[in-house]
Amino acid sequence: MPNITFTIAKQTYQSTFGNKATLVLTILLGLSLCLATYVGWQNFKTQNNQRLYYKNMVRAQWLSKPDKHPHRMAHYGYLAFREKHELSFFDFGIESFAGVSIFLEAHKQNTVNFSEAGFSNGMLRFGEISIAMVLQLLVPLLIFFLGYNSISAERESGTLKILLCQNVSWKKLLWGKTLGIIGVALTIFIPLILLTILLWASLSNWQISIDATLRLLILILSYSIYFFIVSAITILVSAFQRSSKTALITLLSCWIFFVILMPRIIQAIGTKIHPTPSKIEFANAISEDIQKQGDSHDPNDPHFAAIKDSLLRRYQVDDVKKLPFNYGGYIMAEGERITSHIYSDHQRQLNNTFDKQNSFTVLAGLLNPYLSLKQISMALTASDFKTYVDFQNQAEAYRYGLAQKMNKLQIDKISNHSPGEHEKPLSISKSNWAEQPDFNYKFDHLSNVLKHELLSLMALFTWFIVILLLLQYSSKWIKTI
Amino acid sequence: MKKSTSNLEFKLFFRNRSAWIGILILLLTGSAGLYFGKTFIANQQAVIEKAAVLQKKNTLDNIKHFNKDIGLIFFHNKFSTANFPDRWAAFANGQRDVNPYLISVTMLGIEGQLYDTDITNPVSMLLGNMDLSFVYLFLFPLVIIAFTYNLISEQQESGIWSLLKSQTNALVNVIWKKFLIRIAAVYAVAFLLLIAAVIFLHLPIDATLAAVAGLIILYLAFWFAVSIFIVSLGRSSSYNASALVAIWVAICIVIPASLNLLLTQKYGVPEALQNVINQREGYHEKWDMPKEVTMKPFFEHYPQLKRYPFPADKSFSWFWYYGMQQMGDDQAIKSRLAVADKLAARQDFTNIAALFFPTIQAQLAVNELAGSDLNAHLEFQQAIRNHHEKIRLHFYPSIFQEKDIASTDIKSVGLKKFIPTKVHDWSRLLSLLIWTLVFTTIAFKNLKGNALVRNTDSK
Repeated sequence: MPNITFTIAKQTYQSTFGNKATLVLTILLGLSLCLATYVGWQNFKTQNNQRLYYKNMVRAQWLSKPDKHPHRMAHYGYLAFREKHELSFFDFGIESFAGVSIFLEAHKQNTVNFSEAGFSNGMLRFGEISIAMVLQLLVPLLIFFLGYNSISAERESGTLKILLCQNVSWKKLLWGKTLGIIGVALTIFIPLILLTILLWASLSNWQISIDATLRLLILILSYSIYFFIVSAITILVSAFQRSSKTALITLLSCWIFFVILMPRIIQAIGTKIHPTPSKIEFANAISEDIQKQGDSHDPNDPHFAAIKDSLLRRYQVDDVKKLPFNYGGYIMAEGERITSHIYSDHQRQLNNTFDKQNSFTVLAGLLNPYLSLKQISMALTASDFKTYVDFQNQAEAYRYGLAQKMNKLQIDKISNHSPGEHEKPLSISKSNWAEQPDFNYKFDHLSNVLKHELLSLMALFTWFIVILLLLQYSSKWIKTI
Repeated sequence: MKKSTSNLEFKLFFRNRSAWIGILILLLTGSAGLYFGKTFIANQQAVIEKAAVLQKKNTLDNIKHFNKDIGLIFFHNKFSTANFPDRWAAFANGQRDVNPYLISVTMLGIEGQLYDTDITNPVSMLLGNMDLSFVYLFLFPLVIIAFTYNLISEQQESGIWSLLKSQTNALVNVIWKKFLIRIAAVYAVAFLLLIAAVIFLHLPIDATLAAVAGLIILYLAFWFAVSIFIVSLGRSSSYNASALVAIWVAICIVIPASLNLLLTQKYGVPEALQNVINQREGYHEKWDMPKEVTMKPFFEHYPQLKRYPFPADKSFSWFWYYGMQQMGDDQAIKSRLAVADKLAARQDFTNIAALFFPTIQAQLAVNELAGSDLNAHLEFQQAIRNHHEKIRLHFYPSIFQEKDIASTDIKSVGLKKFIPTKVHDWSRLLSLLIWTLVFTTIAFKNLKGNALVRNTDSK
C-alpha cells in the first residue's frame, strides 16, 4: 500500500507548513536566497566588468606601443586578469582567496596578485553569503528544525503506537515522513532555483551556453540529493532518539561538527602532513636547477658556451657577430626554454603538493556529504582550486609564447651588430605587436570537470544509496517506545 | 544549608555526561588549536631564518656573476623584509595566511613588487585556520549554549519545577546557582586553555595578555547573557536550543558574511589593478621618450642627486634606467593612495559593524592584539617602502658613478626585521560590556517578573 506512505508524506507536508515558525523561517531563508542571488550576480558583474575593462585597456596599450626593440616588448609584457565563470555568482568557492591579476614578462614568472582576501580586515573569515552557502549550510539547518520531532513527537504524544497498530509499517512511516520533509525543502528550493535561473538567464541576455546549462542541471541534481540525504538523516535521528529534545541536540551537534569543525581540522591536517615550501625556498630551488642546467644570464655558463661553439662551427665563422641571425635573441630563446621548463616542473610539483593537501578534504567527503557537495558545487561553478591552477597554467603558457615570439622577432629582424654606446637603439615596426594575440582564458569542458570530481560525485552517490538502504531496512533496530 | 545545595548542584552538573562531553570538546579542540596555530607560526619563523641566510648567499652570487656591472647587480639583488610574528600570532593567526610575511624587493620600482603574494593554498585559506582564537570565538559559545539552554525548561519538562516552586520561594536563587556552576565550569576551561597557551606559546605576561583575557571574559559573558536571556523567556528546551543556535548562526556566520558582501560591493578596490597599470606604464613608456622627460621630475624628486653627472649622450645608462623605474612609482602615487583610502573606509565600516556584533568585535580585537590583522600588514608594506627608499638613496650614488661594487657595503645589508606596533584598543571591550549588560538586565527582569511562574502556570 504505497498510498499510506503518500498519505503520511502529505500529512507531514501540510502540518509542517501549517506551523507558523516554519513559515517565518522559510520566508526568511527565501529572502536571504533572493538577496544572495541578486548580490551574487551584482558582485560577479562588477568584478568581471572591472577585469574586462582593464583587460581591454592592457590590450589597447600593448597595440599602441611605438616601434621598439622586441626584447623591450618582452619586458613590457602583458597583464592577464582572471575571468570569473558566469556561474560563479552561484558559488563563490575560492574566488575571494585567489589572486586576480598576473604580470607576464620575459625570464620571470610572477604570482597572481590582488585577491579580495588581501584587502580584507578579517570580516571575510566569517564566510561569504552566496546561494551555495545558503543551500549548503542553512537549508540543512532548516530541515533539522522542521523535522527533528517528526517521529519523536508522535512517540511522545503516544500516536506512534496507534499509527503502527493501524497497518502502517515502520518502513512506510520513515519513507512518508522523509518524503514530506523533502517536499517542504523542495517547495522552498525549486521556486527559488527557478527564480535564480530566470534571473541568471535574463541578466545574461538569454544567451546561455549548453555547457553552463548542463552544469546548472547537475548542480540542481546534486543539491536535491543532498537535501534528500539531510531530510532522511533528520527522520532517522528523530526515529532513533528517545525524545524530541535529544533528537534536536543530536542533529545540531552533527551540523556543527560536519559543517564548522571537521572541514577546518581535516584541511589543517592535510597541510601539516604535506607542507609546501616557502616562496623564497621555491625560488632558490629553481635557481639552483637553472644554474645546473644552464644560465643564459651567466657569461661563463658551460651549457651556453657549448651552444656558442657549435653555432660557430656550423656556420663556420669565428665570431657570433658574423652569424646570419641575431645571436642574442637565439641565446635568450634557449634560456627562456630552459628556465620555463624548470619553473613549470617545480610549479607542477607544488600543485601536486596542494592537491595532496586538498585530497584530505576530498576524501573526507566520503564521511561528510557537506564536503563532497561543496567540492562538486565549486567545480561546477568553476570557482575551485583546479580552475585556478588551470588559469595559472594558461597564463604561463601565454607568457612563454609571448617571450618566445619576441625572441623570434629579435632573431629574424634585429641586426646582429649591436649599435655603439651613443647610437640609436635598434627597433622593429610596431605593426609586429598585433601578431601577439590577446590573452583569453578558456574554461575547462564539463566532461573534464566531472572526471576530476568523480570521487566527490561518488561519495555523494554512496551517501544516497546508504540512506536509501537505511530508510528501507533500519526499522528493525528502532524502538517504538 | 546554602553551601550544601551548591554542592549538590555542583555534583548534579558534573554527573551529567553532556557536561563532560562539552568540556572535553573544548579541551581537545583547544589543544588542536594550540598545536596548529603554533606550527603555522613556527613554520613562518623558520622561513624567516632561512631567508636571512639566503639573502647573504644570493648577494654573494650576484656579485660573483655580475661583478663588472654595478647597475646589473642591483637590478638582480633582492633585499628582504620580514614581518616578524608576534608570539600572540600563534594564538590568532588572523590574516597571516593570506598576506605575505616575507617580501623581497630589488631596487627597481616598489609598486611592481610589493603586492606579490606568497605560495598559498586558497582552499586552506577558504576553510580557515585552526587556532585557539577560533575555539574561543566560535566553539565556546556553542558549549555555553549546550550547557544553559535547558536550565529552566528541563526542570519544567521533568516536573521538578512545581516541586521546586512549592519548596522554595527564591526560584531565582536556584536558577542562579545552577547558572553560576556552568559559568564557573566554562571559565575554568577558558582559563586553563589560556594558561596552556601562555606556557606552550611562550606568551609574555604583559598588557596584551591582560587585554586578551579581558576580551575572552567579556565575550564569554556576552554569550552567557544571551543564553540566560533566551532561557528566561521560559519556553521549551527545543525552542531554546533552536533559538540559541539560530542566534549563533546569525551572528557568527550569516550577518558578518552579509556585511562582508556589502563591504566588498560598496568598497571594491579596482584601484589596485589601476595601480599596477600606472606603475607599468609610468616606467615602460619612458623608454620611448627623451631622457629629459625622466630626469627632470627625477631631479625634482631628489634634488640631492643632481650633483652626479648624468650621461645624457649615452643611449643607455643605469642612471637613466633607475630614473625610469622611479617614474613608475611616482606615477602610481595617486592610485596607491586611492587604495589606501578604500582600505581605511573598509576599516571604518567594519569598526561600526563591530559595535553591534560582538563576534566581529572579538575577531577584530584578537587579530589586532596579535598583530595579525590587515593594519599590521599595511604597516609592514609601509616599512618595506621606507626600507626600499633608504636602500635606493644609499646605493644610487655608487650606481650613478658606476663605482666598483667592492666600494659599497652591499654585503652588510641583512634581512630587515619588521615588528608591528602593539595596539591595545581597550574601547573595543566596551561594546561587548554594553551588550552583556543589556541582555543580563532583560534576563533578570524576566526572571524577577515571575514570567516563568506565569508561563508554567498557564501550561
